[in-house]
Amino acid sequence: MTVKTIFLRAGLLAPAVLAATAALAQQAYDPMRPAANPLAPPTSAPASAAPAVETDPELGNLPVGPGAEDTYYQCVACHSTAIIRQQRLTDERWDYLWTWMIEEQGMYEPEPETTDVILTYLKTHFSSER
Amino acid sequence: MTDEIMQPDAAESATGDGTDRRGFLKTTGLAALGAHLGMNIPFAGNLMALAQGMSEEDIMAGKDGLILMNDRPLNAETPAHLLDADVTPYEHFFVRNNGLVPDTALDQNAEGWTLTIDGEVDTPLELSIDDLRERFEVVTRRLVVECGGNGRAFFQPGASGNQWTTGAVGCADWTGVRLRDVLNAAGVKDSAVYTAHYGNDPHLSGDPDKNPISRGVPIEKALTEDGLIAWEMNGEPIPAIHGFPLRVIIPGYPGSASQKYLNRIWIRDQVHDGAKMTGYSYRLPAYPVAPGTEVPEEDMVIMTDMPVKSLITFPQTGSETPAGAPTEVRGHAWAGSGDIASVDVSIDFGQTWIPASLDPPKNRFAWQRFRADVTLPEAGYYEVWARATDMAGVAQPPVVPGWNPRGYGNNMQHRIAMIAT
Ligand code: HEC
Repeated sequence: MTVKTIFLRAGLLAPAVLAATAALAQQAYDPMRPAANPLAPPTSAPASAAPAVETDPELGNLPVGPGAEDTYYQCVACHSTAIIRQQRLTDERWDYLWTWMIEEQGMYEPEPETTDVILTYLKTHFSSER
Repeated sequence: MTDEIMQPDAAESATGDGTDRRGFLKTTGLAALGAHLGMNIPFAGNLMALAQGMSEEDIMAGKDGLILMNDRPLNAETPAHLLDADVTPYEHFFVRNNGLVPDTALDQNAEGWTLTIDGEVDTPLELSIDDLRERFEVVTRRLVVECGGNGRAFFQPGASGNQWTTGAVGCADWTGVRLRDVLNAAGVKDSAVYTAHYGNDPHLSGDPDKNPISRGVPIEKALTEDGLIAWEMNGEPIPAIHGFPLRVIIPGYPGSASQKYLNRIWIRDQVHDGAKMTGYSYRLPAYPVAPGTEVPEEDMVIMTDMPVKSLITFPQTGSETPAGAPTEVRGHAWAGSGDIASVDVSIDFGQTWIPASLDPPKNRFAWQRFRADVTLPEAGYYEVWARATDMAGVAQPPVVPGWNPRGYGNNMQHRIAMIAT
């Protein structure tokens, strides 16, 4: 999909592209895809060629990595991982959400080491910063 | 009806990397989805439904073509082309639930249901649904309900919550009584400042002392003629997932003010401070901020009117059309400020605009149909953009407007792709 999108952009500039292929790519192009500011130069888009993240179906499809298991068991008492997997937040927003989950929603507060592991995991995988 | 719910791979779309979102849509039933989302483990969060042998699948039965954002709590949005009807049918109405669907709703059991009106009133009331029906004029109004966070997915950096794109909106025919009439019957005291809405939906944690959501509106808003206490949606009892048996509808405000499963309206002598009234929930910075700014909590103010907006509902994005021949493009426009003044469409990325025809609303806060014939001059890729303008001359921006920590109020112009052949 990523490749197609890039291909389309190139295709618009290079009329030599096979018409049939171009038509297909055009139909796949979604002008309302969630993306960076449409006015931003194309180079500012995050590296979209990054390899697909490996996820663990046993852990609600959280990305594999240190802290996945702690995060899973800490977080699924109330809601599914789907709300977590949608996020791309600043570190500060994750810190805030952590407190909100404890103070407003009644999340059990784990030991400081576990807190650290989970917050690091969240900030690594669901970040707008990295 | 295919009864199909699509699931964007959240892990992928969460990267916001600009790849084609539709490429990740999984066309799968909710059962298959269960395994996908990790529902194959026991979870405390859905005991209410599980205890009755209900699953999300049962609860969501009858929803068609929605994109699932979250399975617990249930949240799903509607692709633009499925919102083409003037009145959004049940199967295409988006779902935004903050908590669990209560047993009473799952069972469609309204027996003994009462609505309490208390607080800053002369005569507190406890009304059954029959009381409401008998004591007050029953009205049907066509009203838009839109999540305050519709469009959140487009903010950079991301804003927390469900990553709605354009589909957390619908316009249904709601039948009930005017909120104003009921409040006036109780006699609103001069000391009244704000309403506080309560429902019986359980908090996700199952803690009976917690409310998943309890919001309200300024008393002046509650006393306008537009608000409803409704028990029917599109001529049927309100479905479980949309608030059976009773909900308030506050048109023009974020959908969260339109409490589902309504059993109490408390009139308060201060701004309501219930669940999701405080902190960052449904609040905007008091001043413009750069994207990613940490705004102090005390500088966040409650969001009121929803912004002016429009959606192209026909044709579906990516449709082909013959070059050089006129094609109808149509959709809906609406605004929290009331009626729409005009809608324009562009086929050249906003360089020139074509006025669309605009139907009057069926009633205030119903969305308005716009139509325009566009002729795409030669074969190739085009985008059709739509821009609505409200009565005050405020129009939709071409880009994501003011970033805010929770991603509310994005009314950027809607665009579809059209391929001329
Ligand atoms: C005690 C219950 C509980 C636990 C445990 C819990 N949450 Fe939540 N969380 C909630 C509730 C309630 C909401 C609001 C859901 C909604 O609005 O749809 C929520 C919402 C969220 C959201 C969306 C935030 C927003 O701004 O709308 C994120 C992200 C989230 N949780 C992450 C987590 C993570 C990560 C964990 C584990 C560290 C966790 N939650 C554990 C109750 C909980």
